[in-house]
Amino acid sequence: MLAPVLHLPARAARPVVDGFAGLGRHSTFYARVLAAVPTVLVRHWRHVLRHVNDISFGSASLLAGGGTIGVVFAMSAVASTQIGLEGYRGLDIIGLSPMTGLMSALVNTREIAPVVASVALAAKVGTGFTAQLGAMRISDEIDALETMAVPSVPFLVSTRMAAAVLAVVPLYLVGLFASYAATSLAVVQLKGQSSGTYDYYFQLLLTPADVGFSLLKAVIFAVIITLVHCGHGFHATGGPEGVGKAAGRALRTSIVTIAIVDVLLTLTIWGTQPTLPGVGA
Amino acid sequence: MTFTPPPTRTAVGDAFAQAGMLLSFTASTVAALGRTVARRRLAWRDVLEQTWFLASVTTFPSLLVTVPLGVVVALNVGSMAGQLGAEGYGGAVVAFVVVAQASPLICALMISGVGGSAVCADLGARTIREEVDAMEVMGIPALERFVVPRLIAAVVVTTLLACLVMAVGIGASYGFQTLVLGDSPGAFLSSLTEFSRVEDFVIAEIKAAAFGVIAALVACFKGLTAKGGPSGVGDAVNEAVVLAFILVFVANTVLTELYAAIVPARGAY
Repeated sequence: MLAPVLHLPARAARPVVDGFAGLGRHSTFYARVLAAVPTVLVRHWRHVLRHVNDISFGSASLLAGGGTIGVVFAMSAVASTQIGLEGYRGLDIIGLSPMTGLMSALVNTREIAPVVASVALAAKVGTGFTAQLGAMRISDEIDALETMAVPSVPFLVSTRMAAAVLAVVPLYLVGLFASYAATSLAVVQLKGQSSGTYDYYFQLLLTPADVGFSLLKAVIFAVIITLVHCGHGFHATGGPEGVGKAAGRALRTSIVTIAIVDVLLTLTIWGTQPTLPGVGA
Repeated sequence: MTFTPPPTRTAVGDAFAQAGMLLSFTASTVAALGRTVARRRLAWRDVLEQTWFLASVTTFPSLLVTVPLGVVVALNVGSMAGQLGAEGYGGAVVAFVVVAQASPLICALMISGVGGSAVCADLGARTIREEVDAMEVMGIPALERFVVPRLIAAVVVTTLLACLVMAVGIGASYGFQTLVLGDSPGAFLSSLTEFSRVEDFVIAEIKAAAFGVIAALVACFKGLTAKGGPSGVGDAVNEAVVLAFILVFVANTVLTELYAAIVPARGAY
């Protein structure tokens, strides 16, 4: 009679305990992945190079952007067109539309380009990682690797991590270029602002330090994306459908993490009262 | 109704074949929607189940993304407006950035990334196990039974979620600007109400619904055309997410520009 009542607290606590268990399992996984990165750069450098190629150009159909470089370029360009148009509209209501160039230099560099490029990277490369590793897990290929005494985490995940960090720098710079070009095109061609005015404010507010911090953000996001997506793929269960579901959960986790880490990085780098370089005051 | 790609040799040919199949899939789905409504055999239970499922997986992550976004908007606008001597301008920016741009886009990312991948995985697994073919043989059309309920559910969830995201986004931006940056609450609220328009809200809802349609159609299309075992389902999910993200970003620009051309901007600060 008393037994079911005694089980109640245990049953109520189970989701919490499971949550902590998952957190612990993923954290241990992340630590093992990161710790093995220096080793794989020496031992498996051929695999790292192969992954760099897969990440940058990939083998996807042309309709889905044709490789990550196309996806990053397209999404950055379209998002930054919006920045140009909305920024012009926003500054126009306080009569400052000639200063739209600062929107590109400031908002593109600090927030939009890193976040949009990372969302594109998560969608293209991240879900790809989950799909590959998940398919290997459910067809017992990962267990086969372990049986052959190949350490699976360094071989499969740390190589991808090294490759993602190597590949993200040029990919992100392409995305940043697309952002600047698209905003400039939107403001100068669509809104008809003089290109001299636009370029003046753009160059006044664009500092090398900001571009460096922006690249740092992108690299940090790439590390987060690789860890989260590989973690979900590596621990996938439940057949073909489970792999797809793991991809969705990984994408949700990485987008939320990117949004939160972005704010924390912005506050860390530029403070709560960021100043505009070059405008004085 | 089957969608098998014709054998193509070039990447360009493949892209056009896929685009054409997606268009014909869309047309068939619209026809199926008309048929189910006209013959009153819409699968209400499926619609409810899918709506509940999509709402339960997308709501919490959307709100978790919205709060940092509101803070970022407040931070960047606050710094700029403060230096240009336009305090209280934050409210005006929030009125059209969060309401018209951010809320539909966040819903779109969540519905196509989280909801769409789950839908695609579910349908893809059923396709490679030939359950969908078995249903077709039994006379149950996959488009009416699978795609139409998911399409309706996605539209319902995105339109409702957009409202929630707007409320939380404006709240986060307001809270950060007044409590952390120490701006005047009255100035924020007065510029917010001055520059808010019903049209902005309506276009945001239209956009959210359009993004829901895109996400549901792409996820179902990729799921129902999955092939090649477990890794095929994974690849289908990957392609569905990428394609939906690109289409949503392009649709956002197109809809925003159409709207700006139809409804002129109002007021001066």
